[in-house]
Amino acid sequence: MKTNTCSVSFSINGEKKTFATRPDEKLLDLLRREGYKGTKYGCGQGTCGACTVIMDGRAVYACLLYAMQAEGRKVRTIESMGTYDKPAPIQQELVAAGAVQCGYCIPGIIMSATALMETEKDISDEVAKEYMDGNLCRCTGYEKIWVALRRTLDRAAAEPKKKASKGGKK
Amino acid sequence: MKLCEFIRPATLAQARASLRKLGPKGMPLAGGTALHFMPGKTPVSAVDLTGLALSYIRQKGNFFEIGAATPLSDIQRYRSPRWAMHEICRRISTHQIRNVSTIGGNICRVFPWADLPVVLLAMNARMVIYSGKAKEMGADEYFSSQPARLFRNGDLLTAVKIPVLKAQHGFGSVKATRNAAAFSMVTIAALLELKDGRIAAARVAAGSAIPFPKRLRSVEAALLGKEPSSETFRAAAALAGTDAKWCKQEGMSAEYVAGLAEVSIVDALERAAEFARGRTA
Repeated sequence: MKTNTCSVSFSINGEKKTFATRPDEKLLDLLRREGYKGTKYGCGQGTCGACTVIMDGRAVYACLLYAMQAEGRKVRTIESMGTYDKPAPIQQELVAAGAVQCGYCIPGIIMSATALMETEKDISDEVAKEYMDGNLCRCTGYEKIWVALRRTLDRAAAEPKKKASKGGKK
Repeated sequence: MKLCEFIRPATLAQARASLRKLGPKGMPLAGGTALHFMPGKTPVSAVDLTGLALSYIRQKGNFFEIGAATPLSDIQRYRSPRWAMHEICRRISTHQIRNVSTIGGNICRVFPWADLPVVLLAMNARMVIYSGKAKEMGADEYFSSQPARLFRNGDLLTAVKIPVLKAQHGFGSVKATRNAAAFSMVTIAALLELKDGRIAAARVAAGSAIPFPKRLRSVEAALLGKEPSSETFRAAAALAGTDAKWCKQEGMSAEYVAGLAEVSIVDALERAAEFARGRTA
């Protein structure tokens, strides 16, 4: 049977775009073909988390989604995060903690951490670990990644208090 | 599995009509995670069910009704005083999979390691199937063999109804794994009803270490009328071999798996009894 070509439209990092695709093309393959190469191909079977992107606010494996499943959704990749000159807090803390060794897992780790921070309030260690349970790192043994994440969460938790106290002084 | 077409029906009737027309060349798709691992060289047409408003959880009378396309992470996060489904859902696979994989996908085609059929058997859940009109089927009939048999003619699972636990009811589940995201080695679920300090009703189900999930009826029978004590639970669990032939698994002999299953049954019953006592108090 002939495989049809088709198109899929979705928001990618805030931009609405339409892509030519095939019904059986994986979202990961489409993203990388279109230049979003920060999203990594790791295991290709939904285990390692290197391909994690955020779809409608939820962390998902791009290797286990057909591109057509993204129709009308909002997809965010690592390219939507901080830059080399202006890294996001989680990126700063990962570097400061020495958590980036080969770096291959890091885009996925950052996207899972971002989904956590944007979804949950008053984040306990248990909830944080639940959000991160789908990301593997074969370099660091996780301890440094965990330290970086916890520091980022603590920073974020302290942020409103700082703002509130500044507001109070005025 | 290769896809050659992606169909987005607007209604259940359209979805069913497409699947009936396509026959074995059609494949319903909700989360779609399992499709990537299914064998088959012949391309199939995916019929996307995610646009049919089948993702919801609501309490209706004596049941919680879960839409078939509800992601596991929504079930994990849902809370209600008489709700126990989150316990097993948080143990299924990884965060990213739970965000996509649906309850319907987990139980329309049952893989040997699936946890939800075990829980739904113990909970005495009811499945709502659309065949032009809605009909209900109890868990015992639904899981009597591979449920995919029910959907060959285009019929669709639309919802799962979980009985609301009453004050004297208790539920417990245990999933034994090598690590957090691994497939289950043994999954056990137990529902107990206590009355006057004794077990008035029991449903105990097992999965993963047997070819297909099933109830452990000898274990259930051994519990009836007894006090919910550790001794009662251990004696009942020892009968599990009458109901199930435990299979050896990678790195584990059948004897080891049988021992693991017995311990897991006792743990699940202890949890169910604790739950029930908490409700009674």
